[in-house]
Amino acid sequence: MKSPILKISAVLFCVLVVASCNYDNFDPPQSMLQGRVVYQGEPLGLRSEGVQLELWQPGYELFQKIPLHVDQDGSFSAAVFDGDYKLTLLRGNGPWLDQTDSIEVQVRGGKTLDIEVQPYYTLTSPQYSRNSGQLSATVQVNSINPIRAVESVAIYVGRTAILDAVRNEANLVVSGEELDLSSPISLDINLPGSLAGRDVYVRVGVKAAGVQELLYSKVEHLP
Amino acid sequence: MKNRYLIFLLAITCHLPLVSCDTDWLEREPPSILLDEQVWNDAKLVTGVISNFYDRLPAHTSLTTGWIEFAAYDEAMRSGQSNQEGLNNIVSYPFNRWGLWDYDLIRDINLSIKKLEEISQFDEGRKTQFISELRFIRAYVYFEHVKRMGGVPLITEELIYDFSGDPSSLQFPRNKEEEVYDFIAAELDAVMSTLGNEGSQTRANRFTALALKSRAMLYAASLAKYNNQMGAPISLPGGEVGISAGRAEAYYNESLEASLEIINEGNYALYTNNPDLGENFYEALISKTNNSEVIWAQDFLSSADKRHGFAYENIVRSVREDNLGSSAIAPSLNLVEDFEYLDGSTGELKTRTDDNSDFIYYDEVEEIFANKDARLYGTVVYPGAPFKGQEIFMQAGVMVWNGNSYDVVEANGLGADYTDGGVLTAAAGPHRSIQEVSNTGFYLRKYVDNGPQTSTRGIRSEVWWVRFRLGEIHLNAAEAAFELGRSAEALALVNALRERAGFGPNSLSSLSMERIRNERRVELAFEDHVVWDYKRWRIAHAQWSGNANNPNSMVYSLYPYRIVRPGDSRDGKYVFVKNVAPRFRAPRFFQLGNYYSLIGEDLIDANPKLVRNPFH
Repeated sequence: MKSPILKISAVLFCVLVVASCNYDNFDPPQSMLQGRVVYQGEPLGLRSEGVQLELWQPGYELFQKIPLHVDQDGSFSAAVFDGDYKLTLLRGNGPWLDQTDSIEVQVRGGKTLDIEVQPYYTLTSPQYSRNSGQLSATVQVNSINPIRAVESVAIYVGRTAILDAVRNEANLVVSGEELDLSSPISLDINLPGSLAGRDVYVRVGVKAAGVQELLYSKVEHLP
Repeated sequence: MKNRYLIFLLAITCHLPLVSCDTDWLEREPPSILLDEQVWNDAKLVTGVISNFYDRLPAHTSLTTGWIEFAAYDEAMRSGQSNQEGLNNIVSYPFNRWGLWDYDLIRDINLSIKKLEEISQFDEGRKTQFISELRFIRAYVYFEHVKRMGGVPLITEELIYDFSGDPSSLQFPRNKEEEVYDFIAAELDAVMSTLGNEGSQTRANRFTALALKSRAMLYAASLAKYNNQMGAPISLPGGEVGISAGRAEAYYNESLEASLEIINEGNYALYTNNPDLGENFYEALISKTNNSEVIWAQDFLSSADKRHGFAYENIVRSVREDNLGSSAIAPSLNLVEDFEYLDGSTGELKTRTDDNSDFIYYDEVEEIFANKDARLYGTVVYPGAPFKGQEIFMQAGVMVWNGNSYDVVEANGLGADYTDGGVLTAAAGPHRSIQEVSNTGFYLRKYVDNGPQTSTRGIRSEVWWVRFRLGEIHLNAAEAAFELGRSAEALALVNALRERAGFGPNSLSSLSMERIRNERRVELAFEDHVVWDYKRWRIAHAQWSGNANNPNSMVYSLYPYRIVRPGDSRDGKYVFVKNVAPRFRAPRFFQLGNYYSLIGEDLIDANPKLVRNPFH
């Protein structure tokens, strides 16, 4: 008598495992929200893992933000549910003016948007030249909203395309007090032995006083 | 069959009304719960409640709570079992890292004060003493909050919900940062004279309150000063974070007064019981007999089964008594080099000749550490230093001369011999990759019990955790005096500490902030100061910048090698190699958003009046 019960329960157990619960599951979010952080239509160079935008969905009792991590080329993306969101910029987080107004974002099946910010400084037309152990760069620093002083301008060199103040093999930081921003700034860095004879990646960055994150130029590849 | 049960049941039900019960059946005293009247009128029970609060005091790193985090900064790295390897690979400190929101404890304290005031029948003196002690504990808890979170709501009364559906009467906004520091100072001033507990090193007395005041006011003062020297001070418009620079002087004065009162009136003295200065510094923290230096400690007692596994986790590998454990916190070369030489020169260890052309050859491994600050011996076990009566010999491998240069040979295991019969890799390491052996070439001595069998899991350690000691008060006073322009006083205090460490009398003739900071670093290493000091001086983001090129962000190691060069005078001598510790992966990275910890979204959901901290 016992064995049929055992068999039946074994079969039932297997069926239950296979069946799983269907009704209380729902599909993962599938709508892609993507975009860029731009100034005058140009994406801004940042540090990956450095800058974060926040996505909030009002209308529920409890709030929990969806962090949008901005990549080093200024782009971001997130898979979210369709709905009405408010996008906010964290104060003091990026190298731009605080913006307290939130941005309304309606996501219906997907959304692409550019977030226009007001940077303190931008960098234009970086030129690089490399001769043997030395790398020279010139770059124009534009004062867009110079309410914070330039703390420093720096050049970063590394072996990978992911490059910033944290991830680099060589860097040269020039204090902002010594700089005249009216004309292009030149930065000359001696490359360490570990980079000799290799392809390198390079970018320059400008830091406004009291802001953690720098604004960078595009990463460039130098053979 | 069923009927029988039914009849039986029916019979019982019919008879129940006839039995009736005792008249006070519902009025009995509970056999398993103590009532308010019982607790708050029994001095022993009240002491029990208070001792529970002492035990629940928050700590970031101590011998029990968060001891592992000693290995998360630049004083040390993780060298123990590899399951905690994440401590060597903290890509960036998360914003909630130092978060604390322990209103459970604050509520319990508030409740106890109220019960003592309302229910207790003690005489006024005893009642006041208990309440003073509770208010001291509450002030300490608020200090733990403000140094991590900035201003927090100051709640000093029990809050009761009226079930009206509207909780807004229970939601309090954050107080200003300076209001919390002022509250701490005012509370301590109020209870100081009634705390009692004269001479106790584990319960709060007047001098414990002064010590807390000395530390808290110093923090407030340096926040007021150094925050405003930043390119852009970290602050919130409501003052929840940020203290105006104008208050710095008053805070420094308060801190200095409190420190001087302890130094002049307290019956404390720097510990000098052991003529061996290194051992003396080690004993200054762990000795519980005739220790005149310790002001307030969290005590442990094996016979009461109140003990901890700090020695099990951190003992030197080669003298461990258990089959597992050891070596968890491996002090860094960075810290070792911060200990100066007794002649006053900087502490950098001399491993290479001046022109960097060759190693410096030493006859013995410990020779390189000769004539160093005695506190080095008392803080770390360096190669060749004794521990538990044995010399802790360390050697990473051998360097074999091949005619032109040295080939480095290291063993895959510990305690291996080289083909020439000499040691290859010592039993105490260091080793690049093996777990539970030092990865830096140093072991921790401070707070590691040297008693027999204390590093076993069966016996464990009863070394106490020192929350305040006179050494820190000296440094607090020196820093405050120096900031106030009273450098002569500051100099005398620092020189007294240095004299105990083996420097001659008046070893310094002038002071600078850099010197005071370095004194704090070497005197108070592994005493839960480094993070808070770096934060209040606003240098944490520069020290731990997350960049591998910044030596302060990295953890360095020192590996001793024996020279194998038969026929040469250098054969058998020792050389040293400095390197980034092999198991250390990611540079320490402290961002501006780490200066104040994250107030969780759950807290803001529950209380929308809380404002976020800067950068969050």
